[in-house]
Amino acid sequence: MVNYKFVHDKERCIRCGGCFAACKQQNGVPEDISRINIVTIDEGKSGERHITMTCMHCNDPPCVRACPVKGISKREDGIVINDKDKCIGCEYCSWACPFGAPKYPDTGPAELRGIMDKCTFCVIPYEQTDEYGTSILRAPNPKCAGFCATKARLGGDASEITATYNERVAGRLVERQIGV
Amino acid sequence: MATKTNSIFGGSDIKLSRRTFTKLTALGTAAALSGINSVSAYPEGLELFEEVTAAPAAATNKVKSICSFCSVGCGYTGVVEDGVWTKMEPWEDHPINLGGMCSKGTALANVTNSPRRLRYPMEKVGGTWRKISWDAALDKVANKLNEIRDTDGPDSVFFCGLVHGSNEEAYMFRKFAMLFGTNNIDHQARICHSTTVAGLLNTFGHGAMTNTVIAMQHAKCHFFFGSNAAEAHPVFMQKVFVAKERGAKIVVADPRFTRTAAMADKFVRFRPGSDIAFLYGLINVILENGWEDTEYVENRTYGFEYVKEAVKDYTPEVVERITWVPADDIREVASIIALNKPSNIIWSMGATQHSVGSQIIRASAILQCILGNQGEWGGGCVPIRGHCNVQGVTDMCVLSHFLPGYYGVTSEGSWDWYAKCFSDTPSTSGKITFDELKARFDTLNGESMMTKIGFAVSRWYEGVLKPEAEIDQPHNIKAVVLWGEATSSVTEMKREKEAMEKVDLVVIVDPFPTSASAMPDRSDGIILLPAATRQENSGSVTTTGREWQWRDTIIPPLYESKTDMWIFQELAKKLGFGDHFDYNSIEDVTREINLAVRPIGCQGQTPERMKRQKENYHTFDPWDGRAKGGPCDGEYWGLPWPCWTTDHPGTPILYNDKAPVMEGGHDFRAKWKYPDDEPNAGEEIVRGNLPPTGDGSGTIHWTYNYAKDPTGEVNEQALAEGNPPTGRGRAMLRVANTKWVDRVPKHREPIESPEPDLVATYPTYEDKKFYRVMTEFKTEQQRSIAENRHVNYPIVLTSGRQVEHHGGSAQTRNSDYLVQLQPEMYVEINPKVANDIGVKHWDFVWVKSARGQCKVRAYVTERVNEKTAFMPYHWAGVFEGQDYKDRYPTDGVELARGDSVNIIASPGYDEQTQMQETKVALCKIEKA
Repeated sequence: MVNYKFVHDKERCIRCGGCFAACKQQNGVPEDISRINIVTIDEGKSGERHITMTCMHCNDPPCVRACPVKGISKREDGIVINDKDKCIGCEYCSWACPFGAPKYPDTGPAELRGIMDKCTFCVIPYEQTDEYGTSILRAPNPKCAGFCATKARLGGDASEITATYNERVAGRLVERQIGV
Repeated sequence: MATKTNSIFGGSDIKLSRRTFTKLTALGTAAALSGINSVSAYPEGLELFEEVTAAPAAATNKVKSICSFCSVGCGYTGVVEDGVWTKMEPWEDHPINLGGMCSKGTALANVTNSPRRLRYPMEKVGGTWRKISWDAALDKVANKLNEIRDTDGPDSVFFCGLVHGSNEEAYMFRKFAMLFGTNNIDHQARICHSTTVAGLLNTFGHGAMTNTVIAMQHAKCHFFFGSNAAEAHPVFMQKVFVAKERGAKIVVADPRFTRTAAMADKFVRFRPGSDIAFLYGLINVILENGWEDTEYVENRTYGFEYVKEAVKDYTPEVVERITWVPADDIREVASIIALNKPSNIIWSMGATQHSVGSQIIRASAILQCILGNQGEWGGGCVPIRGHCNVQGVTDMCVLSHFLPGYYGVTSEGSWDWYAKCFSDTPSTSGKITFDELKARFDTLNGESMMTKIGFAVSRWYEGVLKPEAEIDQPHNIKAVVLWGEATSSVTEMKREKEAMEKVDLVVIVDPFPTSASAMPDRSDGIILLPAATRQENSGSVTTTGREWQWRDTIIPPLYESKTDMWIFQELAKKLGFGDHFDYNSIEDVTREINLAVRPIGCQGQTPERMKRQKENYHTFDPWDGRAKGGPCDGEYWGLPWPCWTTDHPGTPILYNDKAPVMEGGHDFRAKWKYPDDEPNAGEEIVRGNLPPTGDGSGTIHWTYNYAKDPTGEVNEQALAEGNPPTGRGRAMLRVANTKWVDRVPKHREPIESPEPDLVATYPTYEDKKFYRVMTEFKTEQQRSIAENRHVNYPIVLTSGRQVEHHGGSAQTRNSDYLVQLQPEMYVEINPKVANDIGVKHWDFVWVKSARGQCKVRAYVTERVNEKTAFMPYHWAGVFEGQDYKDRYPTDGVELARGDSVNIIASPGYDEQTQMQETKVALCKIEKA
């Protein structure tokens, strides 16, 4: 059974921002929020690393359990999506999420934050329908991973991307163990 | 931003490929597809979408093309729906980038669709911008250029720019200036890698990166010396990481703890401007320990004893005093690069932009020769070039001292060759003789200006501002044509601004109005011509690794913008040499290049071969870039020059004598002009048994006379004999050209040095007049000491790139996505400096130098130490704290503007090439 996942390789990420721009373009995400953020740890110091933060499409998503209106669901292929028609913007999901993935635009009434938006593995863009009112649903092919400059961000079927990641980690282990 | 929205499957790519890192399984794809058609496949997720009906299918067109920011040469796919460029998709099997792109590349569609584009020709009249027609604009430009040509001579016009143009456009630009009758044409390579060209060309024979980006995977060590590739060339790092995962070491030496340094095994922080001392310290340790490759040095280099003599005084302890690097660190770095071979030395502007830039490059090349790395898979000199086609535009020599293919302008033979090529090419109808061409140039003191080197882009404004008697041309410059040139990338910006105010006419050809339109204080005399972006026209572009790729048109030019080719053709017509520009297609220009540009082997890159490679990209192995089977069998990706014939596979590794020439083998150049003190040098440096074909005048041509052979027979003969047409020579560890003051590099302090004591021991050069203008070296260095700048301006200022912006950033500072990522200009300062002056992170500060001041944000970080500050160089639109937003054309105000570091940068220039010294200046920082 296919199970879509992301892997983030912190030994490869250089914070080029390609994932950010690719996501903005592919999903039409407005200026005030972003589905993917890059966080730098220990900037300017030895050990500096960058981590891309998005929805990780958990196997047992806490947000699904936290959502009071049952707006968030996990698809059979593992992708966690949010129904913006059901969402009430209560932000419970952001309390539950360990990654800070749910985002809220500054577009709600009376300067309140609006309806939750988050990574959908590129299957649903920010606007869920097109100009004809048709619901948009696309193939799960996340552009952040496809465009990743150094292939630090891997996205796809969990078994395949873990295999790719394993190969890399093995190389690093060899280096460490025999000190080439 | 494009308005077309997504429809079902709009922009989704479900192509499966064998090498895609992120590929979907067949099962995954099937599940996704069935998800559309059968709601029941997703009982929970899809119950919302009961009525899934397709919108009218858009006419979708997918075009593969090449990114137009840095020089790595990444491929991407543009998705055009109903004529609107809506999206981009990764070109997943592209042999160089495997789909990967940085933020700039992924924002290409966003840049092209920017509402801030220049939509029609504009003219500034009486202080206001007004729209004019193309016809009127071109008439105005042509009339004024003709008028200046008649009254002051053709040298009173300065042309510059076009670094993002294709090889074809660059060739046309140089040809345009040749026929206009001036060598006053130059482009950004002058301030980018001119010192690399001078340094490598005089050591090896060619002035380019000696391997390819793909070859980075083969290295055992990457030594970054003056490159922050993680920010300047992100996709380059993909290959570096592959090598790292295969056990390669990464060493970074930089004044700043960059993002590249963060990924390194060893980082060393050294003082800006002490590069040669650092490299000599390494060579000293290597020789001390006997780590040099004796066999290589013996067989493939010339002049090793001079190097030995030169480095003997640079012991780690001496070098510690000069570079501020602990001696043990120097020993450690030397041991890593010497014991992990083959290794690359990788540099960008960090090494080139110095008053001793050419010598830093020479020292790097010498290091690689001593280690025996030069000409290996995985080893070599890696100058990563800055712009998408700066390598190609350099090869086409939009430069004031070369004609396309590095034929020197000072030799009449070069002009004779081009008069022949212009007449003989079947691509155009024009005919011109050498005498007619010469007659198009002015004379000074009875000598033709044709064979005189023109102004450099870094100093053109002196041609406007200096008194006529002080410049080496008949009259001052009266008009400047900025063809895709960012004025903010040139140091001494205040003088440049003054010059732009003094000339009669400023012509700006660019897709955006650019900060150049706002910079000069003038109410009339600026004409803006809207050029198409690189995504709106096609042509060949050369990557940093000399690979030619065909860049295709994604969409036709938006608004009233026109391709560069069209503008050249129309202007040429109006200036009276249109018959030399009556090409039917851009491919015709490529064919003229194949005919004319011979010294670097541009015979094999025909439009047909490049397009065939593009269609069969999947047959190329991303490990070595070579096609295995298929229509391109045996060819290397991009046919890296030299590519001597249409059967040649290209040369991925320069100077690799282990492979046969027809398999991409090569060797050092054999043809040098030997100085009087080494009359027998020729016999010593030539390898193999080529017969001397000298003319008996002291110049010994131990090689084939292939460079002016229109038939290509000499190339064929050389290849048949198993030799590259450039012969088989040796790497010149001591420069053959006696005009070089330092024929073997030596450390010289930067023009503005924080160490006056060291200036006494390691002074800079004597003042020198070259590129038509007097250039102060010693005078300025002494002035700095006399004015006590090292006390009054105690911090060393260096500059560099941000990943989100590019060059002068006319494109990227107009992209919403990129501005969201990087909205404002700043100066990086150490927390200690910030606390001492009472400044918090993101407060405004003034950065002041002896030249001027900048008002920018303070970015408080330990990336820099307390003696150094760093500023990105992409910013403009604010000048010494004053926002120029009211001075742009109304619709073209740049989205993000900031003060320019080049207002305060150093007035130092390289002694060989007029490269500006942006990396070392003295400054002080005050709370704003």
